[in-house]
Order: sequence, then C-alpha cells, then structure tokens
Amino acid sequence: MAQLLLNGLALGAAYALVALGFVLVLNATGAVNFAQGDMVVAGGYAAVAFAGLLPDMPGILLLPLVLALMAGLGLLFSALAYFPLKRRPPTAVFISTIAGGIILQNGITALFGSAPRSAPLLLGEGGFQGQGFLADRQTLAILGVAALLILGQHFLLSRTQLGRQLRATAQDRDMAQALGVPVNRMIALTFALGAALAGAAGLLLANRFFVTPTSGGDLMLKAYIAVAIGGWGSLPGAVLGALLIALFEVLIAGWISYTVASVALYGALLVILFLRPQGLLGEAAQRRA
Amino acid sequence: MERASLRGMGLFGILAGALLSWAIWDGSPYGPRVVATAGTYALLILGYHFIFGQAGALSLAQGTFFGLGAYVTAVCATRWGLGFEITFPLAILLPSAVAMLVAGSVLRLASHYFALATLGIAQVALLIATSWQDVTGGATGLSGLPGIVLFGMAVPRGWPLAAFVWGLVGLGVLLADRIAGGVRRLAYETLREDPNAAAASGIGGARLRFLAFALSAAYGGAAGALHAHTVRVVSAQVLDFGMMITCLAMAVIGGRKRIAGALIGATLLVLLPEGLRFLADYSMLIYGVALLVTIVAAPDGIAGLLGERAPAFLPQAAPPPPKPAKGGLDLRDISKRFGGVIALDGVTLGLRPGEILGLIGPNGSGKTTLVNIATGFERADRGKVGFAGETLSSRPPDDIARRGIARTFQTPALVPGMNVLDTVAVAGGSSHPEIHHSRILARAAECLERMGIGTVAATSCGDLPPGAQRSVEIARALALDPSVLLLDEPAAGLNETEQSELGARLRVLAARGLAILVVEHNMPFLLGLADRVICLDRGRIIAEGTAAAIQEDPKVIAAYFGTEP
Repeated sequence: MAQLLLNGLALGAAYALVALGFVLVLNATGAVNFAQGDMVVAGGYAAVAFAGLLPDMPGILLLPLVLALMAGLGLLFSALAYFPLKRRPPTAVFISTIAGGIILQNGITALFGSAPRSAPLLLGEGGFQGQGFLADRQTLAILGVAALLILGQHFLLSRTQLGRQLRATAQDRDMAQALGVPVNRMIALTFALGAALAGAAGLLLANRFFVTPTSGGDLMLKAYIAVAIGGWGSLPGAVLGALLIALFEVLIAGWISYTVASVALYGALLVILFLRPQGLLGEAAQRRA
Repeated sequence: MERASLRGMGLFGILAGALLSWAIWDGSPYGPRVVATAGTYALLILGYHFIFGQAGALSLAQGTFFGLGAYVTAVCATRWGLGFEITFPLAILLPSAVAMLVAGSVLRLASHYFALATLGIAQVALLIATSWQDVTGGATGLSGLPGIVLFGMAVPRGWPLAAFVWGLVGLGVLLADRIAGGVRRLAYETLREDPNAAAASGIGGARLRFLAFALSAAYGGAAGALHAHTVRVVSAQVLDFGMMITCLAMAVIGGRKRIAGALIGATLLVLLPEGLRFLADYSMLIYGVALLVTIVAAPDGIAGLLGERAPAFLPQAAPPPPKPAKGGLDLRDISKRFGGVIALDGVTLGLRPGEILGLIGPNGSGKTTLVNIATGFERADRGKVGFAGETLSSRPPDDIARRGIARTFQTPALVPGMNVLDTVAVAGGSSHPEIHHSRILARAAECLERMGIGTVAATSCGDLPPGAQRSVEIARALALDPSVLLLDEPAAGLNETEQSELGARLRVLAARGLAILVVEHNMPFLLGLADRVICLDRGRIIAEGTAAAIQEDPKVIAAYFGTEP
C-alpha cells in the first residue's frame, strides 16, 4: 500500500507538470493545447538523444538541456500553430494543435523509430528499504525535481515582474495590452514554459515507463482530465487533479487491472462533466468573446 | 444547385477521375479496393459534416461511430452469419442509439468540454473493444468477414463492391442534401454564428444539434459497415485515435461546410498517399502538415476556396398564407433580480391585438429585461407570461418565437455573412417546417417588401447600415407570422424620414391585428405612433397614458431628469 502510494505520488508529480503546462497555455490563450502530451514525448526523446550524445551523464544533468530545447520547441510551436490563428475561434486552435501533435508524433517516429526507448536514471541506482516498501532513488528524484519545478513555476508567476505580466495576460488580454504588457511576447513565453514543463515530465517518466512516439495522446488526456477535475484554469487545481488521477490509477491498477483503472478514470471524467461542467473546484479560465 | 457546389462537384469529378484511372492502371485487386475505401471515407465525412460542419461542434467520437459500425457488422456476420440486409441497419442503428443516449448530456457542454467528453467516450469504446475478447477478438480482432450478401445475392469483391459503396455514397449525398440543405443549412449557419439570432428566428438549437449528432453517428456506422466488408478484417485499429485524425483531416482539408468538401477531402486524402507511395511511411506526417496548413490558410477547406456564396435568387413560388393572430400578451407581476440589483419589481402589463404600446424609461429601468423575459431569453424570478390563454413562462425562446411572440434586439443579432433574404427565410422555415424551400423564400421576399427593403435582398447583413439592419430584424420577426411583436429601440440610427416611414409600416401591421410593443427613448417617434405609453423606472411602472400625457407627467420627468430640490 505504502509502495503504491509512493509510486502514485511520483507519477502524479510528473502528470502535474504536464497539466500545469496545459493550464498555463489555456489561461493565456483561452485555447486547448492538444499537443501537450506529444510535448512530453518530445521531452523524453530529447533526453534519450542527449544521453546518446553525452554518455554516462546522470539524468538530472540533462534536465537543463531538455528544458532549454523544449522551451525553443514551445516558441516554434506557438509561431506555427497559435499565432496565425489567434483571431479565430478556439476550435481552430484546437485543431491546429491536434495537427501539431500529429506532426511531432510522426516526426519523432521518423527520427527515432517506434520502439520504446528509455532515458537514463536521474541520480543512479540505490535507495532505502522502508517497512514494506522500497523508496528507490529514482522515485524520490522524480518527486524532488517535480516539486522544485512546480515551486519554481509558482515563484516565477507570483513573485517576479515577468510573472505578473504573464498573469495579467492570462486574466484579461485586452486590459493587459492596454496597460502596456507585451501580450504576444507573454503568450509565446507561456508556450515555451508549458513545453519546458512537459519536457521535464518526459525526462522524469522516460526511465521508468519508457517512451514511445504514440504515448502522447494518453498523457494529454490525463492532463486534460486533471484540469477538468481541478477546475478549468486553476493552477493549484491542476496539480491536485493530477495527483488524484495518478493515485486513482495506481491504486485501481494495483488492485484490479490497468484497463479497469482507465475505464473507471474516463467514466469518472464523463460523470464529472455531466454533473459539474465547471469542474470540481470551479472554473477560472478567461472566456473568449 | 449553387455555383460554389457546382465547382466543388467539378473538382470532385476530376479527383474521382484521377483515382479511377490510377486504380484501372494499377490493374491489381488493390485498385478497386482503394476506390471502395475512398467511398467509405466519403460516407464517414458526410456524416461528420452534420455535427462538425453544420452544428459546429468538434466531436472526437466520429471515428468511434465508424468503429462501432464495423464491429457490429463483423460480429453479426462472422458469428451468426447474418446477411447485409440485417447487419447494415444494425450497424447504423447501434451507433445512432449510442449517440442519442449520450447526446442529452454531452451536447449541453461548451466546446472544449464537448471535445473532451466525446474523446472520453471514444477511449472507453476502444478499451472495451480490446478487453472484451470473447466478442471482439481483443487486439487481434475479427477476420474472415464474408463479402456483402444482400437478400441472398452476393456483391462480388473488386469493382462491383466499389460500385456498390459509391452507390450508397450517392444516396448519402441526396439524403444529406434533403436533411441539411436549403433553409435547414441556413438555420445551422445561424445557430453556429449567433445563438441569439437563431433563437429569435425560432430555431431550437438543442433539437438541431441532437439531429446532427444522431445523423453523424448513423453515417459513421454505415461507413464502418462498408469498411468491414471492404477490408474483411476488423480490429481495434478502427476505434483508434488515428481513425479520428484521418476523419478530421479529411473534413477540414476538403471543407466542412459543403457536401462537395466531404467528397473532395475523402478522395484526395486516399489518393495522395497512393500517389506519393515513396513517402508511405510519412503519410500521417503529411496529414498533419496538410491539416495545419489548411486550418491556417483556408479555414473552410478546399471547397471553401472554390467560390463565393451564391446570390439570393428571387423566388416565383406562391408564399404560404399568413397564420391568423392568436391574441395579445399578458405579463403578470414579473420580477427579476441580478445579484443585488432589482431589474424588475412586480410589473404587470397587457398588450392587446391591434395596439401599439410604447415602453419608455431611463437607462437601466428594466425595459430590455422585460422584453427578454417575455420572449424567453431570460427567466423571471416571479410572475407569469401569458399569451393566447397559455402560460409561456418556462418555455425556451425559440419555442416562444414559433408560437408567435417575435422580437428584435437593441444591437441587431444578425449573421454578418448571410444575405438578407436568407436571414429572413430562416425564420420562415422554422415557423413553417412543412413547406417547401421556394415558398419559404417567397414568404421571406414578401416580408422584405413589407419593410421596404426588397432591394437589398441579396446584400450581406454585415454590409448594411444600422437602420437597415433593424428593418431586417423586423422582417425576420414578421416571417414567424407573429401575433405579438416586441421591438427594442427600432428607430435608433434612423433619420426623420426613415422614422416616419417605419412608423407608417408599424401602423399597417397593427391594423392587421398585431400587438406591438415599442421600447424607445425617442418621444417624437412615439408621439405619433403609440396608442398608449408606459414608463418604467427602477423596475416599476411609474406612469401610464397617452404619449402626450406621459410627456407632461411629473413622475416621468423626475425619473428622467431628477426632481428639483
């Protein structure tokens, strides 16, 4: 049980990074980024590629490289899939990000093939044996890195001038623009931040669970569900939602089977949508006119 | 048929010719199979058009309906040996039933949640198909499907099957054009672009969306059935998200608002990978790039690039006879608050047939709220809306409009890209659902004449000056054959000549038995027009009388200008 909880927390921490990136973009643009899961996969493969170039490096040292590369990818993504459509209805952006996701997924397949790959361990082997559970170094490192990134993101948004501008953009784009906030630059930065967080999640997940080019869709759904549960647009809600669904998934999968866990998760999502279309914790995203 | 559709069909003809020549040149049994595959996709996308193109809702379950149809066919044909005459209707019915079952819940959701909910449904279907091995064969699926046997007659593989599939596509096109063509297409466009305009035109959004979702599932199931017989193997791949991506790419690239777009998208995206076989490993990558480029550069797809909207044609048919007026409006003790603000506080007023009643009051006095409540756009907290002996208080706005209480808006609610005649015809179509398109258009033209705007019938609403837009709204209201007409500031933006013309037209309408309420600030306009004027202030009626008397009423003057100290 303790083992399941620990594993669930580690998985949830990685999901939380994905969901955070998803919400950041959602708040800044009012649009759903359907490629968020594929960004995670891209981060995982970036880690695999860097590990190939720099053998014997522990995974943790690859993190800055992955973050930087993914931030660049996020900028490119916004330039291709968001900015040309920013005056159009959210559905258009939804479709363009679906297209972006397909391109990422199949681009990765073309570069790396479709076999599962694995990134290096974050801090090497080892761990300590608790009573009835093993807290291995990898699990703890996943938790630690995710917690640091979530806190860092929180600090960036709440304590810095840049964060204030990002939040102003997310709250009311037109008002922010009128007050002299460079709104377009902020939106591009948000995409970069969202992609970097997704990439970090990719690095964290890519050792234990491996990465395949097609695993993005599932991760995107998890992020989407986490955000729907946590309140559309709420950052703490997204983290909470991610932890909840990861624990749910790990516990049900541990007791019954992974399939039952997934069906139950989607079933729960549908029930939540029908009963409380504004999410369990209320809706916070800006409405687009 | 419209000019744009002709061009679209022409392009489809060229693509179909290319596909056929390629298949004949290829010479192998693979050729006709590819032609049949293009047909199954065409049917799938024709269905997707209903929900995604017409209703404008991004459903991610269209691939699922396709997969369900394929599984129903495979299970019935391989396990029980049932013929096509039984499996085909079942393959259509099951997905439709699923769609109708979930429609009530998912169609209420806002766009992003609708997409997510349909995606959730798709995932559940996929997981069930891979886990329920006894029936579905699990991940390997079901193989060895027999060919199509219809009432004991076999349709051989190869070209006969391809011809059979395309015959059904032809039927699907005719049916789609009957169901969602003509005035119905305009109604869907109004619903997509401006829900208020739709409600004021008497269009029930929920009903139209339900119809679109059920039809998309029915077409998807039919396409899945044909796919199962073409490929003869059904595995979980048909329920995979990749199928949905293919479907989305075809709909967007071909163009999601015209029938020709479905045919173009399906044929092109089947033909393209065959033509670029050296790139075969990258076909999904190509789909992705093509989808991104299309959504950025040509939001209405290839079919949308081919032509402008056809000009309105002036109809020759006889318009339907007007419906008799049913009676006046009876508002009893209406109250409404928004948070801490009391918008209406126990307002009671009656509006008799043939009467023109003016409603004045300072800004924020509750005039528009009263109109909204009488027409169902807002729900009163207390009180009763009575009309022709019935209570309408809890009915939806489109239903109230069809029953005969029509309205206009303070800021005109019109679809900018739709021409004037079509805009009015949408309302005519909703109140006379059984009457043919040409007679509806004749009726619409008659309403334009009554408002003196017959000359702008072919102009897009967005290109008209504000005054003319108000007249279009009144003409649209008249197309509903209303008994009661509620006009929210109809004279705003009109010069004096236009105002007196409008007044004269309204008097003619009242003389025919219409009950008319005019919300106005413009006292000179009301002076010559209204039989009676009521003044609202902070949600209460403070004065009632002739226009001349109201103008002198100290309470009215105080409400507008404040009291002297």
